Amino acid sequence: MLELRHISQNYGDRALLQDINLSVAAGEIVALLGPSGSGKSTLLAIVAGLQSPLGGSVWFNGQDITRLPPEQRRFALMFQDFALFPHLSVLDNVAFGLIEQRLDKSKARAKALAMLALFGLADHARYKVWHLSGGEQQRVALARALITQPRALLLDEPFSALDADLRTSLRDEFKARIQAAGVPTLLVTHDEQEARAMATRAVRLSHGRLAALW
Amino acid sequence: MEDRGRPWKTEICPTKLRVNTNFEVPQLMSFVRACGQSQSSLWLALLPFAALLLLLIAPLARLALSGFTGEASWLGAASSSWSLWTPWQDDYLRWRVLWSLAQAGITCVLVFVLGLPLAWVLARFEFAGRALVLRLLMLPFVVPTLVAALGVLALWGPRGLLSGWLGVNLQDTPWLLLYGNLFFNLCLVVRAGVDALGQINARQVAAARSLGATPWRTFWRIEWPAIAPWLMSSLCLVFLYCFAGFGLALVLGGQRFATVEVEIYTLVAHELQLGQASVLALWMLGLTGGVALLYALLEKRLAAPSRVQPLARRPPQGLAQWLALLGALLVLFAICALPILAIVWRALAAGWSTWVTLLDFEVAAALWNTLRFSSIALLLATLLGVLHALAAQRSVLWRAAAFLPFVVSPVTVAFGLLLLYPDWTASLPLLLAAYAVLAYPFVAKSMAAGLDSLPPHVLNAARTLGASPQRTFWRVTLPLLRPALRRGMAFAAATALGEFAVTLFLSRPEWATLTTLIYRRLGHPGAASLDQAFVLASLLMLLALLAFLLIEWPVVEREVPGWPVAGNVPMGELRHA
Repeated sequence: MLELRHISQNYGDRALLQDINLSVAAGEIVALLGPSGSGKSTLLAIVAGLQSPLGGSVWFNGQDITRLPPEQRRFALMFQDFALFPHLSVLDNVAFGLIEQRLDKSKARAKALAMLALFGLADHARYKVWHLSGGEQQRVALARALITQPRALLLDEPFSALDADLRTSLRDEFKARIQAAGVPTLLVTHDEQEARAMATRAVRLSHGRLAALW
Repeated sequence: MEDRGRPWKTEICPTKLRVNTNFEVPQLMSFVRACGQSQSSLWLALLPFAALLLLLIAPLARLALSGFTGEASWLGAASSSWSLWTPWQDDYLRWRVLWSLAQAGITCVLVFVLGLPLAWVLARFEFAGRALVLRLLMLPFVVPTLVAALGVLALWGPRGLLSGWLGVNLQDTPWLLLYGNLFFNLCLVVRAGVDALGQINARQVAAARSLGATPWRTFWRIEWPAIAPWLMSSLCLVFLYCFAGFGLALVLGGQRFATVEVEIYTLVAHELQLGQASVLALWMLGLTGGVALLYALLEKRLAAPSRVQPLARRPPQGLAQWLALLGALLVLFAICALPILAIVWRALAAGWSTWVTLLDFEVAAALWNTLRFSSIALLLATLLGVLHALAAQRSVLWRAAAFLPFVVSPVTVAFGLLLLYPDWTASLPLLLAAYAVLAYPFVAKSMAAGLDSLPPHVLNAARTLGASPQRTFWRVTLPLLRPALRRGMAFAAATALGEFAVTLFLSRPEWATLTTLIYRRLGHPGAASLDQAFVLASLLMLLALLAFLLIEWPVVEREVPGWPVAGNVPMGELRHA
């Protein structure tokens, strides 16, 4: 269970987040909706440990992890621009997290190759990431996120860089894979249709406050 | 799009976080973290700051003091009653200052008139070998000043390729110096122009055309306002480089058309008139400082390059466009390539007996000195540059400080060092430190640009995948910055190899480098000495090219399509003064 308790954050003089409370259960996908600039990505960064909140705390399975650095949280964060490492091959991108977990390089690569095969990308393993299409890059990003068996999945507008057709086809695939992983998932999006297609629950962030949608 | 970028930057720049007085634990953490990051920046900046302070700022301050007081008696040198206004009251010195200003101004006009059409042709036309031409435009940036001066002499000097063929004698005319200035600076303006024209949004041009503007009106109303600040900023640098130039003016200016920098050198090295030299140096400092300030203001106005849809290049159509392309390539060849080819030609024509002199002990010693001084300077410059760039991530002022060694002339720096540390003037550490300070901004600027182009999400992705900050640096940041580092090092190496002014001031005879040896050969009478100078210049040019290719070439191979080119040194920041 991932919990946010009384989270607040400022941007300059503006109160970006005010007293945010949210919990996401294992296997649940919660969509976080809101207009541009409402602080959705900031909230995700706080959960990931990339930003410290001004006030409040982040809890996971009853443990306060607010002070825990991002690399020790084991939360996988997917970015809207995929954030793949351009100097590494597709295989090494996917194996990156496993190597950070001190797994032997050859074993990490073997596991990464198996994961890529699961995503239908085994043929592309040796390519650099820029050779891939947008959809393929997105799959690599998800494979990279899931291979480390994260304790929670944080998706920051994962489909916003893709065209409409690809977006629709990837939604179902991603939903199935995330549900199979069975981890609490927070999906940031500004597309309500996308939220309805993927999420089990949705909340809206507006003027720094959170409100339940469904 | 979501609030992409902004809130994440709060993490990168934690000082933006508002800290209330009623701390809660996380607030305190943010504050402590911000302080920690500021402190780490401070530690990183310590070494480059010390280098800048001791080797640039303090010598300049000493020079200014000496200029204002008009004396240099602490050196035991001859001093006379010189005032701050003497350079404007004395006819000879007034001519020197005015000519220095005039040759820089004329060069600016010439490079603008030639450079803008050349840049337009290269930016808008697609033709076979275009990429190669753009890459070759980098060549003058790595050619040492003295080699360029010899290139001009090989073309237009005694027994020159063109002067002999056309039967003209340009000795003791201003044309030699102006041609040398063009060789270095035309490429700078053309590269700046091509880059600026590449930033023009095709959609804006299409909108203007659809609203009834002719191609010429579109250029005038849409393209020109967009590129003008870029061109003006590069012209400021051209002015600075020409005004504060030393090597070219020393070799090509002759008695009549030498510049203030040469005059300062003559007063210090030959006439021991340190008081007079410091007054002149102070004026130089003031005038270059004024232009540098103008440049800084222009740069501030220039928006950071955004991702735009550039105008598509098309092959030339019709005779006029082909003639324009051919003409542009010919002008570039004549000004930027011919002097280099002329040196090779003169060296080859010098004959076997001249090439044998390369085996002399004196040449071998100079070659050894050049290589070891440059290598040590490169290592020092890399260390200083990397530290400066990392520290400058959070300080605009500190970032601007890396520009200091670019705008201060090496002669002024060397003279300042001579005044400030009279007991260490013939000390090797001081010479090498001066080399490093003049070369390190290339590394600092290139690394800073590389760090800027790193998308924060990539580093954040590494952190969320389990990499600690140190591991993220080694596994992601450093590999991505390697091209920027190599590029900066390539320019720093070329600068160190061709260093001339500081060596001339601070070196001992036994520390002669290839540049000082070439200068000595030029000072000897006779055709044989001149031929030897050409052979040595070929050797130096080869070394500079090799260093550049060794460090720079793999970068070209490894550039990632569609990825921001990490660490492109802005063309305007390449120094050849």
